[in-house]
Amino acid sequence: MKYFKLPDLGEGLPEADILEWHIQEGDQVTTDQVLVSVETAKAIIEIPSPQDGEIAHLFGQAGDTIHTGEPLIEFANEEQEDTGTVVGEISAAEPGTSKDSFIIGAAPSSRNHQQVQATPAVRALAQRLQVDLNSISGTGQSGHITPDDVQKAADMNRLHGPVEPLKGVRKQMARTMSQSHAEVVPVTLFEDADLHSWPADSDITMRLIQAIAYACAEVPILNSWFDGQSMALRQHEATHLGVAVDTDKGLFVPVLRDIGTRTTDDLRTGLECLRTDVRNRTIPASELQGATITLSNFGTLAGRYATPIIVPPQVAILGAGVVREHPVAVNGQLEIHRLMPLSLTFDHRVATGGEAARFLAALIKQLEQPFDEQL
Amino acid sequence: MSHNITMVEAVNLALKRAMHNSEDVVVLGEDVGPNGGVFRATVDLRDEFGPRRVLDTPLAEAMIAGLSIGMAAQGLKPVAEIQFMGFIFPTLEQIMCHAARLRNRTRGRLSCPMVLRAPFGGGIHAPEHHSESTEALLAHIPGLRVVIPSSPARAYGLLLAAIECPDPVIFLEPKRIYRASKQAVEDNGIALPLDTCFTLREGSDITLISWGAMITETLQAADQLASQGISAEVIDVASVSPLDSETLLASVQKTGRCVIIHEAPRSGGVGAEISAILAEKGLLALQAPIARVTGYDTVMPYYRLEQHYLPNTQDILESAQQTLSFS
Repeated sequence: MKYFKLPDLGEGLPEADILEWHIQEGDQVTTDQVLVSVETAKAIIEIPSPQDGEIAHLFGQAGDTIHTGEPLIEFANEEQEDTGTVVGEISAAEPGTSKDSFIIGAAPSSRNHQQVQATPAVRALAQRLQVDLNSISGTGQSGHITPDDVQKAADMNRLHGPVEPLKGVRKQMARTMSQSHAEVVPVTLFEDADLHSWPADSDITMRLIQAIAYACAEVPILNSWFDGQSMALRQHEATHLGVAVDTDKGLFVPVLRDIGTRTTDDLRTGLECLRTDVRNRTIPASELQGATITLSNFGTLAGRYATPIIVPPQVAILGAGVVREHPVAVNGQLEIHRLMPLSLTFDHRVATGGEAARFLAALIKQLEQPFDEQL
Repeated sequence: MSHNITMVEAVNLALKRAMHNSEDVVVLGEDVGPNGGVFRATVDLRDEFGPRRVLDTPLAEAMIAGLSIGMAAQGLKPVAEIQFMGFIFPTLEQIMCHAARLRNRTRGRLSCPMVLRAPFGGGIHAPEHHSESTEALLAHIPGLRVVIPSSPARAYGLLLAAIECPDPVIFLEPKRIYRASKQAVEDNGIALPLDTCFTLREGSDITLISWGAMITETLQAADQLASQGISAEVIDVASVSPLDSETLLASVQKTGRCVIIHEAPRSGGVGAEISAILAEKGLLALQAPIARVTGYDTVMPYYRLEQHYLPNTQDILESAQQTLSFS
């Protein structure tokens, strides 16, 4: 370099006073040789030479104040490097490179966002009346919350106590169920399966899972996804069964993959893992996605028949109620058999009544087999 | 082919590409020829394209602008360099009274597809008239586009777009970051859109809006907020005229909170216009007052004081935290 300038001495100190030069003009110096002692507001610092060379000129004498960035020494026989400007200094890039990453225009999350709409005055009113704006819906022209809305919410809170906005799984359940109610055209078929031929220790859930796999193979249209917007159907080869699991935090539906090709033991272990993960709240989101059909086995609790609600884009869900002993007519004689009440809801936009009935028939036929003939 | 280059090199690369693509593209300005421009933005152009397409001009900015308008009106694509933004004022009569209104005045018979490049902004230890940011003056003139890149890749794409554009474009280059970092820039000749913001970081808690060199400090502030668990969205305005109010609104309607950062003086700055748009159209989503972190309403100080004048990362952080804690 031609000019050695007073470097930044740290701590943002803008200047230093020259105490003593250790070299003279005309001297040969080597790298790291001490050139000058300077005094800053904080310390006395010795400044070493950045390079080998001959000193052509010293800027300033003992007692002079030099500012950071001002020339201290001129070296002889050096070209001044091209700093790319006639005025000022452009700081140069650190070595290395980066890749530019940007979104042209707004981020996807901005485009899809729904935010509470309220004027600052309404926000202030809500704060004063302790009303959570997220818990009320606006009646204003553009859906914004009006002072009246806040006042009404405050009155309701006073009379009936505060509301609690839904969170997490419950919020998701509310959304999904509303979506289903708005979109799906559900029809529910009810029928009983006669479990008379079963051995005493049969695993009801496993039998149900296998029967669903069988019925899906027989009538595949119930094992599909339907997009009502584009009116497009996606039929699945594999059957991924959503299994409704009730918890005190709400309803979870983990997905048991590929039930058509796995052994009973494998399925049982898999299901137990899913249930444990749900109970411990450690289930990853990926394990809750991708079901092609759903089983809701409320028979462990109470209830005979139900009208289970389909979760779009699926098109069918099976409900199984409490197994009971019931008189049935067998060859003109009354016998007491164990019956499992079944409720199959299907989306009539996708499947016909005949397809659904054949599905339920296949399911019951498979379910009524003795266990040994299962696979 | 990908180049690992600084922003000023990206400007040079885009100029070369545009001059290769069209013989109509002409570069003119003070020292742009053999010298390569004081910041070396036009280096090698004279050797490659000759003195008929790379013109050294006298020190007469009004003439540079006027010459460019004449060339543009008659079918050339002049890219003029004004050495520092502080020298742009002599061009204003030409730019404001002719370039910006040529199409309107001739009822569409003539247009003025010229680009006026000028380095701007402080932080390089230069005198005050080499350090100011007067983009708001230019943004206020109807008929002009005012574009400000803030990275090598965006400088390349935006300059190509400015040269392709049928309108007069003022292309302001934040010289403090001319050589601040290197990026891989693909010399593919692809222009970026001229009238859109760029979302540099997607976030959900607060929107930080800036442009030019202050993008550096704004991204640093976003990093520090992230380490505190706050998700900041960072938007590079890029086109200060016309403003992409849709993108700005979409972001602030999501986050409800916003800090606008610019180097220019506060009063009547582009930040004030953005603030007005957000208040007019985004009022119902705002959860805190719109905040601005800006330079002062004073003449840009000489260089020993310029760091006190320029907003820094800490200023942005403090403003963001005030905005976030407002309830």
